[in-house]
Amino acid sequence: MKLVFFNEFNLGVVKGQDVVDISEAVKNIPRVGPGDLMSRLIERFDDYRAAIEALVSTGSGVPIDSVRLRAPLPKPGKILCMAGNYLENGTLTEPRPINGFLKNRNAVIGDGDTVILPPAPVTIFHHEAEAGLVIGKKASKVKAADAYDYIFGYTNVIDVSARGLGPEGMDAFFMGKSWHSFAPIGPYLVTAEEVPDPQDMHIQLWVNGDIRQDYSTSDMGHKIPETIEWASSIATLNPGDVLFLGTNHQGLGSLQDGDQVEMGIEGLGRIHLNINENLKREWARGVDRSVADRIAGR
Amino acid sequence: MKLVFFNDNKLGLIKDNTVVDLSGLVGEINAPTPQDLINTVISEFDSRYRARFLLESESATGIPIKDVNIHAPLPKPGQIVAMAANYLENGALSEPRPINAFFKSPESVIGNGETVVIPPVPATIFHHEAELGIVIGKVAENVPADQAEKHIFGYVNFIDVSARGLGGVSFYWGKSWDTFGPMGPYLVTADEIEDDQNLQVKLWVNNQLRQDYNTSDMGHKIPRIIEWASSIVRLEPGDIVICGTNHQGLGAVQDGDSVEIETEGLGKLQVSVRDNLKRAWPASVDKEIGDRVAGRN
Repeated sequence: MKLVFFNEFNLGVVKGQDVVDISEAVKNIPRVGPGDLMSRLIERFDDYRAAIEALVSTGSGVPIDSVRLRAPLPKPGKILCMAGNYLENGTLTEPRPINGFLKNRNAVIGDGDTVILPPAPVTIFHHEAEAGLVIGKKASKVKAADAYDYIFGYTNVIDVSARGLGPEGMDAFFMGKSWHSFAPIGPYLVTAEEVPDPQDMHIQLWVNGDIRQDYSTSDMGHKIPETIEWASSIATLNPGDVLFLGTNHQGLGSLQDGDQVEMGIEGLGRIHLNINENLKREWARGVDRSVADRIAGR
Repeated sequence: MKLVFFNDNKLGLIKDNTVVDLSGLVGEINAPTPQDLINTVISEFDSRYRARFLLESESATGIPIKDVNIHAPLPKPGQIVAMAANYLENGALSEPRPINAFFKSPESVIGNGETVVIPPVPATIFHHEAELGIVIGKVAENVPADQAEKHIFGYVNFIDVSARGLGGVSFYWGKSWDTFGPMGPYLVTADEIEDDQNLQVKLWVNNQLRQDYNTSDMGHKIPRIIEWASSIVRLEPGDIVICGTNHQGLGAVQDGDSVEIETEGLGKLQVSVRDNLKRAWPASVDKEIGDRVAGRN
């Protein structure tokens, strides 16, 4: 099932080329607003799945291309990002030490939205295309062998990154990763049964039609079960929390004013973003070889 | 006003040595969780709730504080932004270090009388960091320093419990463990605090005074913190910004410890510490970290 928010944050399910509004099926779920509705549905999904499926099978939708899609998780409880978690197309013989950071949950934007690059003295802004994993039930101290039981689904995410800010030698992820609008998510939240092998997802990202990133989650360093075991050993993860699984740095490149970004994982749809940067700074276009070589140890 | 959650997460306010039950006044709020409730109370405090609470407080008979269980006043804040190394270390540093922060997991929060659980991981030591917590009152995005005060709803005591030596310089590993965010006992509204840059912060471990410093020693002051943090992250009602600690006086927390923190005017918070591995560290001030952060070695 592909869950979406559309128009005025109506909850919907994708049916072929249409979106079916399922607001009626979830109307008695307590919520503050769209920000927490999806998380609360995920928490109770087993109780609601049948009613949703019934509505989708009988209901008529509206064409997807006639609606405004919104981020499927407009305000996750937490966004936890894995740092440096790929073998860089097998260049590294073993994973780097496991690490992660929390990213601003208020930075989420959706399909068709705009990433605003701040007027901060960065060396460059990068796109990091990643697989996003959505937690399905409360996860505390989960063993790797049980980790897949805690996954609700997957979504496309981009960990937009500002380089060169913050004190050297310190964890400066806050300034690197958490700016307003730096967490594009979507267009859909795809339930886990639709993803045959999460460790073989094909991730692609284009800037102005040129392909930049093109890699598989098979190259991941710490695999999904280990990631959930580690993350949940520290902080309890809740339904609707999102794990950004890290990026393969081979293919990263600059983002700058006027860029059109498209990103997608096979089976998860594609998200489209605009880039706005008021200072109109310019960086080299194309793949940034220096970061790729550095991370790969070349 | 001092707001609390007590017993089965009823909202209350402190009146002398009693708690006045406010739950009848906030039943109208659509709030799936206690945090959602307090977020709305904060958002609509001036327009709706302050006057009603005060009126209730005048006529109501409170329940003695000693007869209730006090919980964290912000049980699961939307975001906890924590300032890193933001004190001049009793003036040892001539200027603030470069401004920096990290997120602490909202799941880390515990309240008065609860227990910090030290995880069975090979940290070199676990430290208490007594801090002043600022509670955001209205949405703050790109707020200039001279407007920052308008976005402050109130203050809380906060202990940024910290694990050292895990994952290099990783704040997630160091700071975000469940139970590593003792907070409370009360949420004190801003009108009760005359000068937030002149508050004494004290922390005791087993009645031994460890930290004892004043927020006047803060490096980047509160208006600048809010300006800077809100330039990056939109802060919302009920979010918390903790202002960092003075490292002079940090020490170990370990199994069996009773830890208390009291910032002037914010009440005293007590938590216990449990470490199933029963590891032992020196039960005193850790001079090494104090000297290192102050640049003395």
